[in-house]
Amino acid sequence: MIFEGFEAYRRAGFSPRVAIIGAGPAGTTIARKLAQANIPVVVFEAGKDDYDEVSQGFYAGKVIGDPYFDLDVTRLRYQGGSSNHWAGWCRALDAVDFEPKPWVPDTGWPIRRDAIEPYLEETREILDLVPFKPDRPLSEDIRWVQLIKSPAVRFLEKYGAELAASPNIALVRDTYVSDLQGNGTQITGAHVWSNNAPHGVFHAPFFVVATGGLENSRLLLWSNQRANGGVVPQSEALGRYWMEHPHYQAGNAIIPKPEAFETDDVQEAFFSPSWAAMERAKILNFGIRLIEQPYHGVKGLISSLACSAPGTAEWAANEIDNNLRCAAQLHVAWEMAPVATNRIELSRTERDRAGVPRIELHWQKSEQERRTVLESMRLFGNTLARTDLGRVRLADWLRNNEAYPEDAELGGNHHMGGTRMGTDPAKSVVDADCKVHGMANLFVGGSSVFPTSGQANPTTTLVALACRLSEHLKALVA
Amino acid sequence: MTALLTRVLRRRTLMKALLVLPAFSILRNLVPPTQTDETVEIDGWILKRSDLA
Ligand SMILES: Cc1cc2nc3c(=O)[nH]c(=O)nc-3n(C[C@H](O)[C@H](O)[C@H](O)COP(=O)(O)OP(=O)(O)OC[C@H]3O[C@@H](n4cnc5c(N)ncnc54)[C@H](O)[C@@H]3O)c2cc1C
Repeated sequence: MIFEGFEAYRRAGFSPRVAIIGAGPAGTTIARKLAQANIPVVVFEAGKDDYDEVSQGFYAGKVIGDPYFDLDVTRLRYQGGSSNHWAGWCRALDAVDFEPKPWVPDTGWPIRRDAIEPYLEETREILDLVPFKPDRPLSEDIRWVQLIKSPAVRFLEKYGAELAASPNIALVRDTYVSDLQGNGTQITGAHVWSNNAPHGVFHAPFFVVATGGLENSRLLLWSNQRANGGVVPQSEALGRYWMEHPHYQAGNAIIPKPEAFETDDVQEAFFSPSWAAMERAKILNFGIRLIEQPYHGVKGLISSLACSAPGTAEWAANEIDNNLRCAAQLHVAWEMAPVATNRIELSRTERDRAGVPRIELHWQKSEQERRTVLESMRLFGNTLARTDLGRVRLADWLRNNEAYPEDAELGGNHHMGGTRMGTDPAKSVVDADCKVHGMANLFVGGSSVFPTSGQANPTTTLVALACRLSEHLKALVA
Repeated sequence: MTALLTRVLRRRTLMKALLVLPAFSILRNLVPPTQTDETVEIDGWILKRSDLA
């Protein structure tokens, strides 16, 4: 069932067991799974069924620190959420991403990868993915990894009709949950703002916040402020340890035998480090994206190589004579260190139309990350040289220790952390079941629960976690 | 025949590009050792030592 606004929903007299806030990939997945188990759920979606400027305006905010995308551009506020313009690149976090890295403070999840593995098959179906191929080592340091570019499932398109037809789902669009009310042990209600006006308080036995990797923190911070700590009683880590996957071109390569790499249908291949390499170099995880370039891209590279190694340049030139696909751009995306000062705060001066303070996002890449990019290219370069698969050249900004390029992509639009999962309430917000510490009926869905980000795009993992949370809720609610 | 000609032309363009490059002997002095003996970093390139022979 779909309701355009809270008033229409209220009149219908629907009685949900669970209220889900947000109809993006996380919220939609949880709603479908609970409905399939005959559990009635209401889903509040702030936006409508299409982009509109007024709705999007609620997402504006300020970025302090490193340059970042405008906060009303890096996500979408209507049914389906950012899946309406995501790229569909998919890979679950690696097993190593769940482990603590002794050389990076505050790493490690309270669960291991085997906790999400039972849900990966289902996640593949949800995201229309073919089965993943296993990683293949290229050397002791570097492995080829598969990142599947899915058809970029739009959750509104793929699941809209199912939500509308389900008797167990009430999807209430244009209905913004502006804050939750709580007494320090449970959520007692939620204020809703619908069709541009406040609509009072709503009650349900269980609440799941699934409003995206920036908004989850904002909603909980504001709710907690209004409820004097009654929503997130242990809130030291709330909004903190926020992470992205910064992303830059870090070099080039000459690859005389491109067929040695398995590239996808747009001639790209991905590489990540082994645990041993990360441990030895004391760096974070990373993903190198090799993008094959056509012939014209290689000439400058060969010339530059000839300065340093004429014999090798000639070898490469000979190979190139026979092969048009022989140069590559190397882009690196990496895991950010989880740092408490990278955080979402509530603005003291700016509010949206419903009176909710806007976001101030504070983030800064660290020295350890800078070293991670440099070492990633060195590890990859050494691997290619030793195996004679190619030669790598570091970008000038990287080897000369200059500032990050300003004309780059900056990041992946991946918003992680802020309500991180953990056992220590001083450093986390939710437990291993995605339940807010100390609260009996408040859960969080989405990549804001990631304690660390790994290097893989987040949606595959967050959908698997949403499936897992649904199973937990099924048992609890029943 | 055309393929051969294209190859020769391509090769010539390449050689022209190579000729205008600065002398590489100066750069050799700048070779810093990398973590392994087998590879070196020079002018941003990660090379095998034998590449410099
Ligand atoms: C340009 C771009 C490219 C991307 N590419 C990739 C990629 O290739 N691979 C990948 O893994 N990820 C990618 N992502 C990230 C991906 O889109 C997100 O990880 C994913 O959409 C997060 O799902 P979510 O349900 O947690 O949040 P969202 O998608 O943000 O959905 C949240 C929903 O909640 C609603 N909402 C928000 N606040 C409230 C409120 N208070 N009350 C009611 N409703 C509310 C919103 O309108 C929205 O519908 C990309 C993102 C962008 C922007």
